[in-house]
Amino acid sequence: MSEKKSYTRQDVMNKVKSLASDFWNGKPHEERRLGDLYVDKTGLYKHREWRGFKDTMYYFNMIWLYNYGHMISDIMKYGGGLKGPILFARGVWRYRWLGQSYLPVMHWFDRGLEGMRGEGLKASAWHYRAMVSETIRQFMRMLQADQNLGGDPEIWKKTLAHDETVWGGIFYPWRDRMDDVPLQMIPYFVTCHVNNHVVLNYIDAAQSIGLPGDPCPMCQAEAGIFILDDVPDYFPAVVTSNEACDGSVGTSVLQDWMMNKPLFAMPQPMQFDDPLVQEHCAREIEECWKFIEEQTGEKFNCEELVKHLERQNELQRFEWEKWEVAANTDYYPINGVSQALYRIYQSQDGDRDIWHETDARVKKILEKCVENKINSYPLTRHRVIAWSCAPLYYSHWCTWAYNCWGLNCIINMDSLMFDMTIRTDSYENMLQDMALYHEWAPMRRMAVGGMHHIFELWEYMERFHCDMVMMYDQLQCKGMQGVHGLFEDEFRARNIHAIWMPHALPDKRTVSRSEIRSIVNDYMTTIMHEEPLDPTLLEFDDSEGW
Amino acid sequence: MKDLKHLIRMENLLQQANNELVQEAKEEGRKALGYTCYFMPEVLLDLPGCFSVRLRAPNCTTPVMATYYMSGRTCHYGRSLMERALEGGFNFLDAQMATETCTVTCRFQEHLQRMDIIQNPDFFVEFMDVPFKKTENSLLHYRKQLQAHVLDKLHEKFGIDTSDEALLKAIDQHNEVCRLITEIGNYRKLDIPTITGYEFAVIQLTTLTCPKDKILPMLRETAKELKTRKPDAKPTWKVKLVLAGAENDDPDFTKLIESCGAIVVADRYCYGSLPGREEIVVQEGETPLEAIARHYLMTSCCPRFMPQDIMRARKKYLADVCREYNADGLIVESNKFCEYWSYERTIDALVIPRDFDIPTCSIEKEYINSASGQLRTRFQAFVESVELKKLHKEPAEKEEPTLKEMVESRIEDKVEQIEDHIDDQLVKIESAISDIEEKRHEVKDAIEEKVGQIEDHIDDRLVKVESAISDIEEKRQEVKETIKKRSRRKTRSER
Repeated sequence: MSEKKSYTRQDVMNKVKSLASDFWNGKPHEERRLGDLYVDKTGLYKHREWRGFKDTMYYFNMIWLYNYGHMISDIMKYGGGLKGPILFARGVWRYRWLGQSYLPVMHWFDRGLEGMRGEGLKASAWHYRAMVSETIRQFMRMLQADQNLGGDPEIWKKTLAHDETVWGGIFYPWRDRMDDVPLQMIPYFVTCHVNNHVVLNYIDAAQSIGLPGDPCPMCQAEAGIFILDDVPDYFPAVVTSNEACDGSVGTSVLQDWMMNKPLFAMPQPMQFDDPLVQEHCAREIEECWKFIEEQTGEKFNCEELVKHLERQNELQRFEWEKWEVAANTDYYPINGVSQALYRIYQSQDGDRDIWHETDARVKKILEKCVENKINSYPLTRHRVIAWSCAPLYYSHWCTWAYNCWGLNCIINMDSLMFDMTIRTDSYENMLQDMALYHEWAPMRRMAVGGMHHIFELWEYMERFHCDMVMMYDQLQCKGMQGVHGLFEDEFRARNIHAIWMPHALPDKRTVSRSEIRSIVNDYMTTIMHEEPLDPTLLEFDDSEGW
Repeated sequence: MKDLKHLIRMENLLQQANNELVQEAKEEGRKALGYTCYFMPEVLLDLPGCFSVRLRAPNCTTPVMATYYMSGRTCHYGRSLMERALEGGFNFLDAQMATETCTVTCRFQEHLQRMDIIQNPDFFVEFMDVPFKKTENSLLHYRKQLQAHVLDKLHEKFGIDTSDEALLKAIDQHNEVCRLITEIGNYRKLDIPTITGYEFAVIQLTTLTCPKDKILPMLRETAKELKTRKPDAKPTWKVKLVLAGAENDDPDFTKLIESCGAIVVADRYCYGSLPGREEIVVQEGETPLEAIARHYLMTSCCPRFMPQDIMRARKKYLADVCREYNADGLIVESNKFCEYWSYERTIDALVIPRDFDIPTCSIEKEYINSASGQLRTRFQAFVESVELKKLHKEPAEKEEPTLKEMVESRIEDKVEQIEDHIDDQLVKIESAISDIEEKRHEVKDAIEEKVGQIEDHIDDRLVKVESAISDIEEKRQEVKETIKKRSRRKTRSER
């Protein structure tokens, strides 16, 4: 005979209280069961996550509606008013990267901000918003000038192209009259984060002309967009770079055959610690400026350069503030993926209004968190530093790792690349600092110029009080593969918990997101002997997801 | 062709980095300076008191220890060098003069710097930066790097004389090597080359891996020998090829190509002679170091040069080499995991046939390849395709011959017929001689067999006779005994 469970008044009261609390605050972390929300394979949600009344409303209004609205208004703002949407529609028809990555943008927000609450949610979302806005600005400029779409020849003349690894600061002297747009940043790099299927076509294209499969897939993808003629014709001349690696040089060479336009190669020295190389590098920058003058007929404006450098220094100073808070308190509100993507985008792009607007908003949130001691990641079990270059198709692993295991990614290598302001007190100092800044490009400062740079990891671990390393293992990065054994030795000798995360930058086919999760899960259970915070996130299939 | 006098010795010198000539030079108290890249000018490392050794890891097929340190996803060449270093094969080095010119060799050299691998207390690694362009700015930068990281370092650490006079002396010696190698290499331009690609690769490699002064006598003799060397009556190859590409210090790779019906007539790859064996010219008003810097920067055809004009000039240079050496085709190779050459090879395979109408074969290889059946198949197929193309091309290219040409052609045909006839007759005579020889051997064998049989028979008979004699002897003894017994019995009965 089955026993009937009797409910006391107290039980009912507790249940009501709990429901009310869940409604108002959202479920406690361990009870969220976020993995149950996914539609199998797609990574889409059966229904949206209830984050508590305030945060759900904030998410709906200030993230969903606000960003969707801006994704339309920005197209008009940067596309010349009402012509903007028409131009955008034509761009979507012509360039596969544009159409395939624009619609999934809000899902990209969802993936990166999953499970987040309060100030952490707000601060991280502002970073996402800035990246979307800057991306729209850049591709609308491309489309406006694009001769493939019958764009304005005057805008075409006043738009310079450069490799995505050439720092935008090089073009500051002309920012009052001209604009500069990186060649691959939007078509390949940004789109890959938003929709990881887009890039596969470009990698296959590079291999279809005989390129072997082993060079860096990022470089292959960059080459692929040119092979498939999927880059707008928006520029009269181009500046290329050897950053970050041998594969980038190869890509520049291959691109040149496809573009066939005036090109200035601005390679950076490898041994950047050597004082002798600075002069050489500074002269290269000057020669680049001369090339721009020759190609465009526009004169170099030093005042404009100084103005933007000073504004960029402001960005850097705030970044240092952020690092200070992240390193020494538990009140840093920005999650790992927002920190990594925003920082690499902003530091490479250089001074733009959107970064200042965003920093002003985030500064308020940051100050509030510190003053009120708000810990946005209260269930942090380990403070993690991510080292080497990250998987582009799974940059939001940090969000998953916190939700599932309490691994809080405090800082990453790419964020730490540019660790300097640029002096503007004299032309010589300014040029010298610009040279050094450019030499410290993404994926480069720690990777070249001697092994001691890559082993700066230990100092940063100490500085940011991290107790665990997420060691990215980019399988096709020759530089990092070439130092693999020494890292193993050092981790053992220093008794550091390090999880090797194999990946192939943009190519999810080599190591899938699911395999990455499984590696982290294995380490956390077998080595750390820990239980997951949310077991529904341990295993799920998002292989077809964006 | 007749074997070259020094070839076997040179082959032996390539069996290990610390070869007998290196050992000799070390015994004389000279410093051994290792390097891996063309951008480290060997002439500066060959100053009096030291000598250069371009590092190789011959016969290294499974770099197991190096794979732990550098993973299995890096260039086999870099890993093989690391393996050889870990095995102790480079302990003779006094310094490694390093360049950060390609990622994996750089990582190898950084391991030498960071780990205590080279068992030599004075050993050090010095890195220099190499520009990616050929402008005045790059030249200035390169020269300053050579001064600071090579000359100053050698003087400071080993007390090497780095004066202009010493540099000029080193240039003289270097130029003599270049002259001899160029002279030897020029025999590859002949219609029927009197040196094979393999032989040349061996000779060229010895000049990179042995002290120059010690290899020079052999080079001189070889150059002299080649002046009178006769080609084979009938070439064994069908097409002439240029081999271009990434790091290649394995002469057996060239041998593999040449075993597929081709002859390699030019070597435009790292460790090859094009470029690399051009003489250094010190122009008026130039210091020796300036001349060296200019020479190495301007002659290099490395794919790491990025300016547009140089990228395109590289393709033209390759096409010019093909024409200069009368090549029928081009093989572009790259080592697996070599990023520079993966791209360059891909572009070459697209651009060279399209813009210069030169058949091109694109190959990805390992560091040591001699046993690769797949490569052999690829080369055979390429050689056949080039040969067919050549055959198809020939009639279209022929113009109406003049009377003189017709007569000459008839005479040549006739001479060829006679030669063929003589050859046929010679073959027949040789065949008849060999038949007679065979018969003679057969008869001789038969006689020997018969004699053997008779001897055996006699032996058998002798054994039987001996046995019969011994039987008779026995019988005789028995009879004698019987007679004795009987006579005793008779005597007793008489008593």
